[in-house]
Amino acid sequence: MSNVEYLDVFIDESQEHLQLINNSLLELENQPNNLSLVSEVFRSAHTLKGMAATMGYEDLSHLTHTMENVLDAIRNEQLEPDDKVMDAVFGSVDDLEAMIEDIASGGDGKRDIEQAVQQLELALNGEVPEVPNQTANATSETEAMLEVGTVLDEGFDQFEMTVLTQSQEQGFTVYQLKIELDENTMLKAARVFMVFEILENMGEVIKSTPPVDQLEEENFDNEFVVTLLTKEPGTELEQSIRNVSEIDNVQMIEINVNELKAGLGQQESAATETAVLEKSVPTKKQPASSPDQKVEDSGSSDQQPKKSDINKTIRVNIERLDVLMNLFEELVIDRGRLEQISSELNNSELNETVERMSRISGDLQEIILNMRMMPVEQVFNRFPRMVRSLSKDLGKQINLTIHGAETELDRTIIDEIGDPLVHLLRNSIDHGIEKPEVRRNLGKSEEGQVELRAYHSGNNVFIEIEDDGAGINKDKVIQKALTNGVVTEEEIEKMSDQQIFSLLFASGFSTAEEVTDVSGRGVGLDVVRSTFESLGGIVEVDSELGKGSIFSIQLPLTLSIIDVMLVEVQTEKYAIPLSSIVETAIVNKEDVYSAHNQKVIDFRGKVVPLIFLQDTFDVQEAGQHDEYYSLVLVNKGEKMAGLVVDSLIGQHDIVLKSLGSYLTNVFAISGATILGDGQVALIVDTNALIK
Amino acid sequence: MSSVLIVDDAAFMRMMIKDILEKNGFEVAGEAANGEEAVTLYKEANPDLVTMDITMPDKDGLEALKEIKGIDPEAKVIMCSAMGQQSMVIEAIQMGAKDFIVKPFQSDRVLEAINKVMA
Repeated sequence: MSNVEYLDVFIDESQEHLQLINNSLLELENQPNNLSLVSEVFRSAHTLKGMAATMGYEDLSHLTHTMENVLDAIRNEQLEPDDKVMDAVFGSVDDLEAMIEDIASGGDGKRDIEQAVQQLELALNGEVPEVPNQTANATSETEAMLEVGTVLDEGFDQFEMTVLTQSQEQGFTVYQLKIELDENTMLKAARVFMVFEILENMGEVIKSTPPVDQLEEENFDNEFVVTLLTKEPGTELEQSIRNVSEIDNVQMIEINVNELKAGLGQQESAATETAVLEKSVPTKKQPASSPDQKVEDSGSSDQQPKKSDINKTIRVNIERLDVLMNLFEELVIDRGRLEQISSELNNSELNETVERMSRISGDLQEIILNMRMMPVEQVFNRFPRMVRSLSKDLGKQINLTIHGAETELDRTIIDEIGDPLVHLLRNSIDHGIEKPEVRRNLGKSEEGQVELRAYHSGNNVFIEIEDDGAGINKDKVIQKALTNGVVTEEEIEKMSDQQIFSLLFASGFSTAEEVTDVSGRGVGLDVVRSTFESLGGIVEVDSELGKGSIFSIQLPLTLSIIDVMLVEVQTEKYAIPLSSIVETAIVNKEDVYSAHNQKVIDFRGKVVPLIFLQDTFDVQEAGQHDEYYSLVLVNKGEKMAGLVVDSLIGQHDIVLKSLGSYLTNVFAISGATILGDGQVALIVDTNALIK
Repeated sequence: MSSVLIVDDAAFMRMMIKDILEKNGFEVAGEAANGEEAVTLYKEANPDLVTMDITMPDKDGLEALKEIKGIDPEAKVIMCSAMGQQSMVIEAIQMGAKDFIVKPFQSDRVLEAINKVMA
């Protein structure tokens, strides 16, 4: 049977389980006594193991199995989840992740897991033992014993003989059965238990080789011999046993006790040997009683209340959502057209219908957008693990707190922000948080605090990373910026502290004194900034020397449909994203001043530079001029600028279309859109206009 | 045609069993992702057979087995277990499970168990 068709589901579910394991393990580190967490991890590991084994990923299932043993020991309070143990478990989770990733990218999921397994064994036993073999080897002892009774005739001791004689007198038949299990049988003891249950329903087992306790521990190959007293007919007996799954063969002979008695003398020596191991007749309670206890143990810990919300969901390929979105965008364009046509025709019925349609499509838009939204948790999830291992590597103590992980963002954005956020976090931990001894000397607590926050505000989502580390050394930044030629001394003089900190995001910047493994690997913060900016986001940094720094990222909720202000520059139409507009204004031309070769206005006590879109975009003169300037005031962080346009049209929902691969790097244009009347309007990238 | 209710928390596993069953002429009466659903579905669909995973969130296979047996003492339930759950399997059999299959599933093993139980 080919398993390829299950691969996607397998990968998806495995990843979910790994994430669950990761989360629970991290929580467990904080609350080592919370055994319900262990149960949760155990359950996930267990499911994972089953799936992996079914798919034939042996390394994966072997490692999960070993991990499960450790978890089981923790769950049964035989093992303390101390650092060493947790490290081993985390280590193997890393391996598991790598394997799943390999499988996801088309690999065979093979990996050298020897080390991880050894670590786990070490954690479990305090020493490195032999790799445990599930298909338990029969001990030499039992092998020897089975040889004694190869052809079913085993010896009986005096006591057993008495029992046999008496029962025969009472009309019981004595059968000896040699039962062979399928060699691939997995839970042999359970199989044996099923056989015994049938036997005991039909009669009384007075002897078994190997003895019952060894059978229970799976200390036998694939066969065992039992002696049964019964009144049932032999054929029925044989049939019922054969009806148990995984029974390969049943050999049955009837024993004539009198004949046996005759041969007793010769067999006595052999008989005493087995008798030592098998003294009492009423063995029949054994297979039932001791597993019972085990069940109670594992049962009770399993009954801990578990609250994992099960939402009814279906999985939809993201591509389908993209297609849906695209189709809807087309619809929005046509809706715009329709609105325009209906307003021109001025037919009340048409108007009504179009209005209704607009309302519905507005709801539809919201739903489609919501469908694409995912909690940032997706991205944040991996950070605790990363911070944990990072702080170990760097010898720092760090407590990462996460707030607002449930904040939702468009899937496209979620996919992109992972790496830059990792970069910022690493930055905070590597450059920000000091080593414990330094912190102690400074009178701070040895444990550095890093806080990761996400929250909604208006049409934006903010993500902030705050640490209570060393902060940014302004002088050092200035010095570096000057030596690297990022800025001139003149420029620095005019800069605010924040602007100076922002220089960190200029290319070629790394203030770490030593290049560590963690950050400062040549990928500067400028890459981080450009990633966020390509998503329509803004990165800012603020810091207080000695107290810590805060990086804040502002991201749009979604990318494809945006609210804009449509403006006219001569005869061309442009769209300015509403998110960056502060307000609109009309100023008299007389109120425009010149400063530093730049036209500026005095806007509520602030000097705001003007940017003439007509010049910026080389728009052809069509000869319309008023004595007023229509302004759209836009901002980028703290900075403001006034965009000079000819007229303001109004606010619209538009669909952002990229300019395609031919027109990359068009200055200050982030895309285009089709308007209701079929005209194309270019979307202004105000971030590029404000320097 | 015998109808089977599949209970497993992993969609992957359900899919697998379902395929095995459908390829061999069984009808899938329903799929449940936990013990709770299993009991409800059992009442609704009254299947000829149940394959029941042991480890599941909320209500595990053993509890579900107990409840199903309570509703219908004749219920035919096959436990699905992974290695290392011997004691639970034994408990399940004591509670009246007819057979068990061990993950990783081999389709002939699954069929053997089902055919024997249905015989």
